[in-house]
Amino acid sequence: MFLENYGFLIVAIVQQALLGMSLWYPLMAGQLSLASIGFYSLGGYIAAIMGTSPAFAAWREALGPALYPVEWLIALAASALLGLAVGIPALRLRGIYLALATIAFVQVLNVVVLVLDVTGGAVGLFGIPQPFESRLGYLWFFGPLLAVMLIFSARLTRTVAGRSFMAIREDELAAQAMGIPTTFEKVRAFVIGCGLAGVVGAMSAPFLNTWNARQSSFDASVACLAYVLIGGARSVWGPLLGAALLVALPEVLRPLKDARLIMNGIVLVVACIYLPQGIAGLLASLRRREAA
Amino acid sequence: MNIVFLLQSFINGLSIGSVYAIFALGYTLVFSILGIINFAHGAVFTIGAYCTYALAVGDFGLNGLLAGMSLPFRLPFPLALLGGSLLAGGIGVLVERLAFRPLRAKGADPLLALVSSLGVALILVNCLQFLVGAEIYAFPSGIFGSLPMAMVFKMDGKVLAVRTVQIIILVVSLAMLLALAWFMNRTRMGKALQATAENPETASLLGINVDRYILSTFFISGALGGLSGTLIGASFGLAGPYFGVSYGLKGLAVIVLGGLGSIPGAVLGGLVIGLGEAFLPPDYSSMKEAVAFVMLFVILLARPQGLLGRQTIQKV
Amino acid sequence: MRPFIILLAGLFLANTALAEPVGSPIPVGIAVGQTTNVALFGEEQVNGAKVAEKLLNEKGGVGGTPIRLAFQDTGGDEAGAINAFQNLISRDKVVAIIGPTLSQQAFAANPIANQAKVPVVGPSNTAKGIAQIGEYVSRISAPMTLVAPNALKRALKLNPNVKNVAVVYAQDDAFNVSETGIFQEAIKGMGLNIATIQKTSVKDTDFTTQVTAILGAGVDMVVMSCLAADGGNMVKQLRQLGYEGLIVGGNGFNSPNMYPVCGQECTGVIVAQAYSPKADNAENKAFSAAFKDMFKKDPAQFSAQAYTSVKVVVDALNEVEKSSGKKIAEMDTAELRTALNAAIVSSSYDTPLGEIVLDADGEITQKTFYVSQIKVADDGKTGTMELLPE
Repeated sequence: MFLENYGFLIVAIVQQALLGMSLWYPLMAGQLSLASIGFYSLGGYIAAIMGTSPAFAAWREALGPALYPVEWLIALAASALLGLAVGIPALRLRGIYLALATIAFVQVLNVVVLVLDVTGGAVGLFGIPQPFESRLGYLWFFGPLLAVMLIFSARLTRTVAGRSFMAIREDELAAQAMGIPTTFEKVRAFVIGCGLAGVVGAMSAPFLNTWNARQSSFDASVACLAYVLIGGARSVWGPLLGAALLVALPEVLRPLKDARLIMNGIVLVVACIYLPQGIAGLLASLRRREAA
Repeated sequence: MNIVFLLQSFINGLSIGSVYAIFALGYTLVFSILGIINFAHGAVFTIGAYCTYALAVGDFGLNGLLAGMSLPFRLPFPLALLGGSLLAGGIGVLVERLAFRPLRAKGADPLLALVSSLGVALILVNCLQFLVGAEIYAFPSGIFGSLPMAMVFKMDGKVLAVRTVQIIILVVSLAMLLALAWFMNRTRMGKALQATAENPETASLLGINVDRYILSTFFISGALGGLSGTLIGASFGLAGPYFGVSYGLKGLAVIVLGGLGSIPGAVLGGLVIGLGEAFLPPDYSSMKEAVAFVMLFVILLARPQGLLGRQTIQKV
Repeated sequence: MRPFIILLAGLFLANTALAEPVGSPIPVGIAVGQTTNVALFGEEQVNGAKVAEKLLNEKGGVGGTPIRLAFQDTGGDEAGAINAFQNLISRDKVVAIIGPTLSQQAFAANPIANQAKVPVVGPSNTAKGIAQIGEYVSRISAPMTLVAPNALKRALKLNPNVKNVAVVYAQDDAFNVSETGIFQEAIKGMGLNIATIQKTSVKDTDFTTQVTAILGAGVDMVVMSCLAADGGNMVKQLRQLGYEGLIVGGNGFNSPNMYPVCGQECTGVIVAQAYSPKADNAENKAFSAAFKDMFKKDPAQFSAQAYTSVKVVVDALNEVEKSSGKKIAEMDTAELRTALNAAIVSSSYDTPLGEIVLDADGEITQKTFYVSQIKVADDGKTGTMELLPE
């Protein structure tokens, strides 16, 4: 009964955690991006078009269930390429420019998908083929991806690339002085996130049954950022903890109606002030206290 | 393309662009003093418009907590505009207290301040919806007294039409810009603000109470936001508590276009984007929302410091 | 991977197969947007549904057993709609779901209900393909194929000298794009000249460019397919800039939101309506009187459609009770949901919208449409839509 009712919610937490994680990589290099939701939208459209458009009927016939991984790969490639195009001009600069460029990217994308025919205009695309009977089945999509990305993130913190990211976060000028190609590394961190968001989008289109321009609202961008910062931007587990709290919270607060969005806002503010290292940081300090 | 279309578009663009300018100045002032973008500025814009509406019209709608209630008085529009802007200034101060000061006191990561301002925006907008509902409000036609609604000219068979509210927007915005320029360059307080923006530590060594100036900056920024919200609302109505979000984002494009932290830049950026939108042919009007953001990309590629920005020197 | 899926699916089937009686009062789910900006419509739908609960229970509910509405907020997004549907299906154990507010949300959430074999009645989903989502999905909101030509005919009665027409439509709204197609065909069919076609966006607020183009074209009728907020603004700007001819609006204008947006300027606008609070049928008279009693205003189309949805479910429940000879409250929920869906489709109903017929797919055919003229009160914030005589 519990799984039946909350199956969607559980998968949604994993899905949103992955979106949060796609911002975690640029944040690792000290770069604030609000673009994930745009690449998520792009990936979703790729999967939705390939799943419903008559032009891809032959592909669906030939590939069968293998169509899904193909969609993911195409979404990955498209998002990474577009990520380069957005990231390079914005990341040559220091400071807040990436955040602003990524907001602009999402806004332009939203206008474009509304006027194109292939994206179904305002109504969007629907009737996307389903690989699973129940919503919980989608854990087979998002679960392994989350596991892979968690391992990847943990490994990354110990590689040269990961260390370069963190050096840039701590002090970009010093990192540059040490010979780290800062623009290259920042773009690399950003593009990893873009690719991940694109794949999550491609997985999400069948999960939501439908895809439209409303998937990439500004509110959704903010939510993704909130997962990371509230969960803890310096811990691999941060995005998952943040998404678990923030995705479940509105459901728990359902009886509050309108007031639950106010509560969401309060949680954001309070967490920023009292949990600067996020939930992960809080847990770590509790553990340290216990050990002492 | 003909001369009347050009003239018409020019007037339309100048009017809307001047509001973009004063709205974006709100971002710029806070950015120049704290180096942070206040994402609650769009929410303050919305609340300012609703405050003016409440003062001028007095009645609330049919939904929300205040349904069916009304204020015991009605102010004439100019006074309501002033009152609404001051209230919005107060909200700006509240935003500073809630979202920025606690973080500044802890010396927290500036990214956190950005997120907490997003949180405050969420709180403000949803409180507003809680109070007045999601319905649409509009100022009644008689708000500008006996002024005619519009002026229509016929020129070689073409029509040139200007709404009175467009002229009011232009006049109020220009007056506000002049007042701000005078304040920043001619008053002690304005100069102190600039000094604080230049270098907060030196300013505090010079005996300037930095915290007080930050608070004043937020007040002015909020008032500018509320004023622009009211002007937009007077022209097009208040389309629900979320109507400020898109202006809030567009304002970001304005400040990047003009140059982050540059006051003349924000004005120029606002006008350029307003004109850019106005000159878009009507057939492409669904692309209008993209104009500002495409310009943002172009400027990032071509001249990242913005039209009037200085090449920034990284402080170490 | 495959065996796991089957195992999971099997677990769920085993779960739902447990027999559970419906109970009294009979739970009917309402999943509409009560928060975010969709609340503008959702609030009206909630009001309409509440009137239905009161009125239909007073009339005896389902063979003496009352119904109880279970409300779950969908918010404005697709995930919210899916969550609300899941809650209604497995926690509130409703016999049917009315909702969601937006077509986009319907495409996300309706397949969930369809899979769980729970009937869904769409109160306000006008996009193409809604009723085709599955056998458990029906809708009572009609696309406007008949009313458009009617509205134009009535307009020509007011001014028989109309020659040149301007057409305006919001190109980023699916409903308005399909409606303007119908309008344009009708205009040509009547031998009128389309002098200019102006496109807008539902998010637009500044229409000076479009209005000046229309003024320059020298037309004597403007036919608009927009929503209330953008359309109302454009009417206001048309009138302020001196346009004096006829204005005909599509069903998007059939909303009380028009009055506060354009105030006095929209007096005289002709509106093609799927519902009119003034409609002359017994169902509507009872509904709009009860609505006025509860909310002190005329019901909007969204309210009437929400009421109609509840009425369709209650009528069908009564039908099931009559034909099966069993009390609904004692029937097994899963069994009832299937029987209820069979009763909902392929039937006709007397509703405030007039007589409606749902075909085997659950697609609506509405018999009567209305054409009204807006009359705004002196306060500029309220108004009425007066039916135009045939």
